[in-house]
Amino acid sequence: MRKILALATVALLTLGAGLGAAQAADKEHKAVYHLNSKETDTQKDVLRNSQNHINAVGKDKLDLRIVMHAGGVNLLKTAMTDVEVKSQIDNLKLQGVKFVVCKVTLDRNKIDYKKDLYDVSEKDLVPSGVAEIALLQEKGFSYVKP
Amino acid sequence: MSKETRFSDEFLNAFVDDQIAAEEKSHAYTEISQDEALNRQVCELRKLRDLVQLAYREPPAPLARTAGQNSHQTRLRFGVAASVLLTLGFVLGNQIRMPATAPSVTAVPAATTQNDEIANRVASPQPVAAVTTPVVARNEILGMTTSKVLIHLARDDADQLSQALDEVESLLKHYRETRQSARVEVVVNGKGLELVRIETSAFAGRIQRLQREYANLTFAACQNTIDRLAREQKIIVRLLPGVITIDSGMAEIMRRHNQGWAYLQV
Repeated sequence: MRKILALATVALLTLGAGLGAAQAADKEHKAVYHLNSKETDTQKDVLRNSQNHINAVGKDKLDLRIVMHAGGVNLLKTAMTDVEVKSQIDNLKLQGVKFVVCKVTLDRNKIDYKKDLYDVSEKDLVPSGVAEIALLQEKGFSYVKP
Repeated sequence: MSKETRFSDEFLNAFVDDQIAAEEKSHAYTEISQDEALNRQVCELRKLRDLVQLAYREPPAPLARTAGQNSHQTRLRFGVAASVLLTLGFVLGNQIRMPATAPSVTAVPAATTQNDEIANRVASPQPVAAVTTPVVARNEILGMTTSKVLIHLARDDADQLSQALDEVESLLKHYRETRQSARVEVVVNGKGLELVRIETSAFAGRIQRLQREYANLTFAACQNTIDRLAREQKIIVRLLPGVITIDSGMAEIMRRHNQGWAYLQV
């Protein structure tokens, strides 16, 4: 009886530890960048800061999400016409950065993400940008507001 | 060592058997986790209970009627024990993976530092970005599912404030629609205080409507800013009804951060 109990205990602990490690193992560093500013300068700061962040810790170790809402979504509008911004975004995406767009903003401002925004698909949308930022912090993401 | 009399044996047994009220239990958890001897005692009791449960997993047939509930309880207890172990393992696993990331605010939002002496005292050496270290998912570990969000306002530009209130409202709406339990605290300091002053607020009606509509929303104003206005500009601040004051906006942000709240600056 004791043996079974001991075995069960060890098995459960190991399973738990495995799950815990796996959960934390997704990426060593996790950061959410908050972009709600309509200012072009701030938007460019976000792109530059992200690249510097990657350079500092390495793209393989970093899960970086840029969550855009309100005026921040304009970044992806700019990218439709501004080649430099567009290539910066492409570059960041190649290094694993996710650009996340708030649905509330799209609905409120009647933005069609397929037509008006650069390279956004259904999977990039979240119901609420603010709630997403809160959720990511609950999951251990650091909050960065350039 | 074993002279620990804060909890009777009876209480500890009930605790191990999960038969005490949630509030008492959380209190007991804290106490026990701080006391090694007590902790060991509880551990022993749990072991004993598990052994008993394992031995009597299948109750004898004649007792089936009355034992129905017991067997159910036994399974429940076994489940609780298993999940405790699983959680423990989970925590250990996490600890092993990322050792000692004590949550602390490493830098203070640059935009909020203007005109704010408290902020200046802790101003970040790198004024580009607000960076906070991760609030490790303590909520998850504790099994709480309430989302707690602090929204920090430090500007007075009407556009910004109107937009900020939009954000707050859509966030609360989102949580209500998704039936997610949540608490939202809007902290105003520096110029953001204008939002909740009777004399200056352009959104008094809207704030009151939001407060009426959402009981889980709090507006908190920084007392330091209020004092500073009195000192420097001889302004006696009057706040909108229902707005509470906190000693310092910055201190509140750090407190909430340490309590596992998410932080957003809008």
